[in-house]
Amino acid sequence: MQLQQLGTPLTLLLLAVFFGGTFLISLSISRKRENADDYMTAGNHVGFGVSAASMTATWIWASSLYASATSGYTYGISGPIHYGLWGALMILFIYPFGKRIRTLAPHASSLAEILNARHGTSSQLILAGSNILGSTLSLTSNFIAGGALIAMLSPLSFSTGVAIIASGVLLYTLWSGLRASILTDFIQVCAMLGAVVIVVPTIFFAAGGPAIFEAGATHLTAEQQSFFSSEAFLNQGAPYIAAVLAYAIGNQTIAQRLFAVRPDKIKATFVTATIGYGTTVIGVGMLGVLALYLGVEPMNGDVNNLVPQLAAEYLGVAVLCIFFVMVIGSMASTADSDLSALSSIMMTDVYGRNIAASDRPDPRLMLLIGRATMIVATGAAVYFASARFNILELLVLVGAIWGALVFPVIASFYWNKVSNMAFTVSVLAALAVFFPVRFGWIALEGPVAFVSDLLAVIGVGVIAGLMAFGFFGPRVGRIAGILAAIAVLPFGMGFLHEYTVLTASLLAYAVSMLLCVAISWRSSEDFDFTRIAQATGRFDDGEDFDLAPVAATQGRPT
Amino acid sequence: MTNLALSFYILVWPMIVAIVLGVLVRAFVSELRAARREGRPLI
Repeated sequence: MQLQQLGTPLTLLLLAVFFGGTFLISLSISRKRENADDYMTAGNHVGFGVSAASMTATWIWASSLYASATSGYTYGISGPIHYGLWGALMILFIYPFGKRIRTLAPHASSLAEILNARHGTSSQLILAGSNILGSTLSLTSNFIAGGALIAMLSPLSFSTGVAIIASGVLLYTLWSGLRASILTDFIQVCAMLGAVVIVVPTIFFAAGGPAIFEAGATHLTAEQQSFFSSEAFLNQGAPYIAAVLAYAIGNQTIAQRLFAVRPDKIKATFVTATIGYGTTVIGVGMLGVLALYLGVEPMNGDVNNLVPQLAAEYLGVAVLCIFFVMVIGSMASTADSDLSALSSIMMTDVYGRNIAASDRPDPRLMLLIGRATMIVATGAAVYFASARFNILELLVLVGAIWGALVFPVIASFYWNKVSNMAFTVSVLAALAVFFPVRFGWIALEGPVAFVSDLLAVIGVGVIAGLMAFGFFGPRVGRIAGILAAIAVLPFGMGFLHEYTVLTASLLAYAVSMLLCVAISWRSSEDFDFTRIAQATGRFDDGEDFDLAPVAATQGRPT
Repeated sequence: MTNLALSFYILVWPMIVAIVLGVLVRAFVSELRAARREGRPLI
């Protein structure tokens, strides 16, 4: 099948306009006298418009657009809902915990830094290590998606595409860190959301409009035609619900925006980002549903090609350019957030709170470390991208690993009896149970299956309890958790172990909760939460230093 | 679902996205104006 392409000159022009524009925006906010704290948190006082746009742009990445369409193509009309809705709720459910975290540590740079203040180094490094792994994989995944798109829609090669995308993102993020990331996110979210508004209806009507559903109904199974498909829920929706809290707690890109936004705008930011992310991703997912009705076969058998395929088949050159910018925007906005997150973790959690812990951290060296981290991370991601690993699968795995961290992290911010021992032991034990189940090293049969199902049911209760706890407090949280576990018990026993991906995540939640509670219950720890505010953030007291060779060479006022 | 309902189901998402985009742009413009009025950087 021959797809319409953009041609090399047009592709290069679009990329030059996109990355050139974002670089100019980045230059407009770079400062001769940069501040290490602002580099990581953008001053802790960003308004609603910029922060909501940034949160939305960061959470929408190229893979989520493709995966939502894949869900629509695989599971039918309910598929995109089971992808986009739960992804959107990740943002919403972190909001009440975000408010608490911001109250405890108004000037923190990372969640791991707060854990250092709360528990010490081992807890901090567990979270920071998982953040580094997750962000590096996310960065790689975005480069792969960008390279693949350029290779499909232009005569340029995959490697050239990856190199252009990596250079473009690094170029505008390097100088101003998070400030550049969130300001350019606004432009990128306008491109992405604007494109969804134009591209989805255009493809729908170009492919035949409402008549598609009559002519193509035979391509769908009964499950795919059902809005209440149990197959879609169990294979797509349920594992995502398990991952809802894990991604939001474990992902430093979200935490970084939480620390950047004005405290009185946290709620508005999270609610708007929830709606923005959900509708955008579900909207693009509808292209997968259309492909299913149209009987489209994915090119080379790869379902990730569905969206670009539909775009190339049904869009004229002008709208195809808009589509191209949409995907590049989704990829760049997440990639720059990953670079900022990685630099922040290395600056704060590796250098600031550990290597320089005994001395006063040098803000100038911190900035150098932050920028060096971005360059090294970009190089590593380009290398991994060239190997074309199945990054999305690895990333889903990292998300599931974060499931082991959720309860101990949240409990540490509310319960003064949780000790470093309780945190570390519960997380490591949960991981020790997670891996053998996830990779099938243990056969879930007989008594093992019984115990596994019982723990998985408890895991369901933990997730429901935590979600209710965030919004309604401990009493409602406990009741919701117990009710959810009781409700799932009758059909979960003898059944859940058949879904190993879901079971592994649920076991991680259950084991970490049981051990964390058991160890903390009898603990003599009585942590004073007011200590966290004093022990986090504020690396740079304003002693300025000149770091802007770029500003000077650009001839801009500084 | 009828063809009409399915068409609405496909097209309602871009419509909501348009509203969200409007909210974001409006908030951004108002923050930009306020920052300029007060002589401070937006971020």
